Amino acid sequence: MVYSSELIKGTLKTIVLKLLADNKKMYGYEITQRVREVSGDRIHITEGALYPTLHALEADKLVTTEVEYIGKRMRKYYSLSPAGKAATRERVKELSAFMQTMALLLDIQPKTV
Amino acid sequence: MFPITEQHIDFVVRDLDANGIKTPDLQQNLLDHICILAERDLAEGDDFYGYYRLVISSFYKEELAEIEAETRFLLRHRRPWLLLSRAQFLCGLFVILVGPFIAFGLLWLIRMGRLPLQVWGGTLIFMQFPFLVWLVIALTPERYDPLLPKGSKVLLGWRPFISIL
Repeated sequence: MVYSSELIKGTLKTIVLKLLADNKKMYGYEITQRVREVSGDRIHITEGALYPTLHALEADKLVTTEVEYIGKRMRKYYSLSPAGKAATRERVKELSAFMQTMALLLDIQPKTV
Repeated sequence: MFPITEQHIDFVVRDLDANGIKTPDLQQNLLDHICILAERDLAEGDDFYGYYRLVISSFYKEELAEIEAETRFLLRHRRPWLLLSRAQFLCGLFVILVGPFIAFGLLWLIRMGRLPLQVWGGTLIFMQFPFLVWLVIALTPERYDPLLPKGSKVLLGWRPFISIL
């Protein structure tokens, strides 16, 4: 089952920031593939959602960029800035608390492994 | 691996531009993404242009320009400091409007050793203006504007500023 884009939209920044925290530097395509891999193909980040988000994170100075030229085309690598590292911790904490609240609200029993 | 040529790159950039992707960085990001997909999925001799048409349509819901619009929207609304609480807005207004009077009064006091009644009076009268604005905001029912959350935010921009005045 692939989760709907509406569910993912509000968490996209957090997902991207956390991936960058775990992988040092990544480019757009790499991020989409990594998300598919880690989520067991249940989360598909569309290009139309990812690139605007990356631009917003860059404008907020939460990520820094590095450019690599492959012939005539340009590949942009994104990595976390110091402010981005702090923001990631905050956002992950907030999302985790939110998920716990949602579990309570929807009366979902957490799975025991 | 499918060889991407300069003609392919020029074609993609032109098409992105013609379909509303105007931000150069965004163009380059999408171009790289498309090239990687083509290199991954196509074999030498395959039709790049047909593949491009197929792939690019999976990037958006209705039109490609959505991605540009979304980017611009996120960039425009990215600064939370543009949203001020009522208290912050009024403090800012107070500092901007009354601050120069107080500074002028203090400088006068330092230089002359005393402050004439007119300067005090002028400052006190002008201080009423932010309070009048506060009164307008405080007496405006929050339910009047459904877009403003409870505990109200004031968007610092020309439109609300002019409407308050």
